[in-house]
Amino acid sequence: MLSKSEKSYIRTSLLSEPPLRADGRSLLDFRGVAVELGVTALANGSARVRIGGDAGSESGGGGVCGTEVLVAVKVEVEDVSGSVDGGKGRMACNVSCSPAAYPSLTMLQLDDFQSDLTSILDTTLGCSSLCPTNLSIIPRKKAWLLHVDALVLADDGNVYDALFLAAAAALHDTRIPRTRPIEYRPNNARSQASADASDDPMDGASGLDTHAMPKATDFELMDYWDEGEPLVCPNGMSWPICVTLNLVPPLFYLDATTVEEDATLTRLLLLYSFSTNSSNTRLQGMRLLGHGEVEANLIKPLIREGEKHAKHLNQSLFAKLKSELTKRIPQIVPSTKRNK
Amino acid sequence: MEVDDTDGGETSLRSKITSPGESLTSSQAFMRGHGTYVEDDEVIASVAGTVERVNKLITVRPLQTRYNPEVGDLVVGRITEVAARRWKVDANSRQDAVLMLSSVNLPGGVQRRKLESDELQMRTFFEEGDLLVAEVQAFFADGAMSLHTRSLKYGKLRNGQLVTVPPILILRLKSHFYSLPCGVDLILGLNGYIWVSKHVKDNEQEGEEGFDAEAVYSNQNDEIDDATRAAVARVSNVIRVLAAHFVPLNDTVLVEAYEWVVEQEYTVKDLLLREDVADALVSAVATARPDL
Repeated sequence: MLSKSEKSYIRTSLLSEPPLRADGRSLLDFRGVAVELGVTALANGSARVRIGGDAGSESGGGGVCGTEVLVAVKVEVEDVSGSVDGGKGRMACNVSCSPAAYPSLTMLQLDDFQSDLTSILDTTLGCSSLCPTNLSIIPRKKAWLLHVDALVLADDGNVYDALFLAAAAALHDTRIPRTRPIEYRPNNARSQASADASDDPMDGASGLDTHAMPKATDFELMDYWDEGEPLVCPNGMSWPICVTLNLVPPLFYLDATTVEEDATLTRLLLLYSFSTNSSNTRLQGMRLLGHGEVEANLIKPLIREGEKHAKHLNQSLFAKLKSELTKRIPQIVPSTKRNK
Repeated sequence: MEVDDTDGGETSLRSKITSPGESLTSSQAFMRGHGTYVEDDEVIASVAGTVERVNKLITVRPLQTRYNPEVGDLVVGRITEVAARRWKVDANSRQDAVLMLSSVNLPGGVQRRKLESDELQMRTFFEEGDLLVAEVQAFFADGAMSLHTRSLKYGKLRNGQLVTVPPILILRLKSHFYSLPCGVDLILGLNGYIWVSKHVKDNEQEGEEGFDAEAVYSNQNDEIDDATRAAVARVSNVIRVLAAHFVPLNDTVLVEAYEWVVEQEYTVKDLLLREDVADALVSAVATARPDL
């Protein structure tokens, strides 16, 4: 909640020449972003993202604590024999907010906000074009169900960008356990014969045959040195990245703090996913938040601008994740190093 | 570490930082104060903070805490609610503070009687979200503080922005209104809310000649030039950096830090986005004032 004079101070500063923000950033500057992988031991993949906050201090230091989102991905076996879409596995997203992040909201308002965040995460990530191709365990019988659970620990503005960054990082971090289909085949004739030949029941073929076979009924987890294989996003696309354009016509700015968000009428959320090997870009989603209005002919250039910034964000995230994951290959204790 | 009566023990105690649950001393010889509790004949810290001792009384002053008001303190607050004949004010304390309609300056002079019509137009004085500077007048039975703005120095705030720091970093000083040489006015609220605004010349202050309610309760900002806005942003970032490194704030520290930043020709955002600049600033302030 801001006073009228604070709002007008922020707006006039943004519209002055050159534009000036409360903390001296230029319009397109992000605050420092920290990404940490593998933060929850029991999840199959997890990440924590912090935007802003005090440099170098673990617990927020003496000042503001920034925006902090934790995402954990957990896999679960789901029976898909009855499903209509062929049972390729799916993603279920849920976002909850810590009441400490929104002390001014009542529980009801908090619930509303949570379901807003859940709906945008779920509709974007749950889209069939982004469903990982390696979720199937036994075709048309069993598949992995990915639970993507996000927790907003602190909000100092730009929570949508942080949420999608954390989700993308967690999905990169996720490892699907390796499985091997098995079938139980009671081979009566042979077992009788072997019982006659020797008293050793282990001799000859066992009832459990663990070779891959087309009519597999069940599966077993393979014991392997790593935790499994990474998720494969279809068509070599990346996980969606969100950029929030805060509109103060005729210009826009990125990475608003809570105070700036309060003073901004309209926000445009743009969700992009990028192809990792070609220059292919897809707009995965779009939301207009707030109670302002936008000139229709402004939208097109905004989408183009947003793509540029999303691409930049995606590249930095990707470079960061790559260095994190290569560090972890000789893995005894998962290294969790945070970086600015 | 055991606390003992010798001077050596006292000096080591002064620099000691506790964690919750840490045993401090025996409860037979000492009394427990704020931030501690007794279990099994031992005084145990209940918060993270520094140990303080006055004679036999052991207290722990927490590192991160809400503001503990005292009568006469200057605070900056934000109106959260307009109620019957009073405003509720968020002042970073455990409870919302209360500003009574009878404790504000009303248009028409100090001697004027409070009218019913004033109650009906309370939002023309302060409405939800408005920032104000006030003084702690008294406490209610439940510990909530009552504020007053019955001085020409107090009242609604405009022409600037708010920076929040932990209240423990604001020292009690003779005055909490400062004018920095860079054309920026500062109000260091003891509750950790700091108002950074454009300098208003003393003779232009509202209400100097009589009481101009229109100006005092205005929501309209003055014309502010870009240099002043940049200075406001720079001062705010200096405060944020110093607070993040737990440097106690007063006007000399802030002036020094501001001059250092200007001297080194760093841009406003360098302070926020570059850790090396922030660290250099803190060490520069620390060398300039070794007592901190």
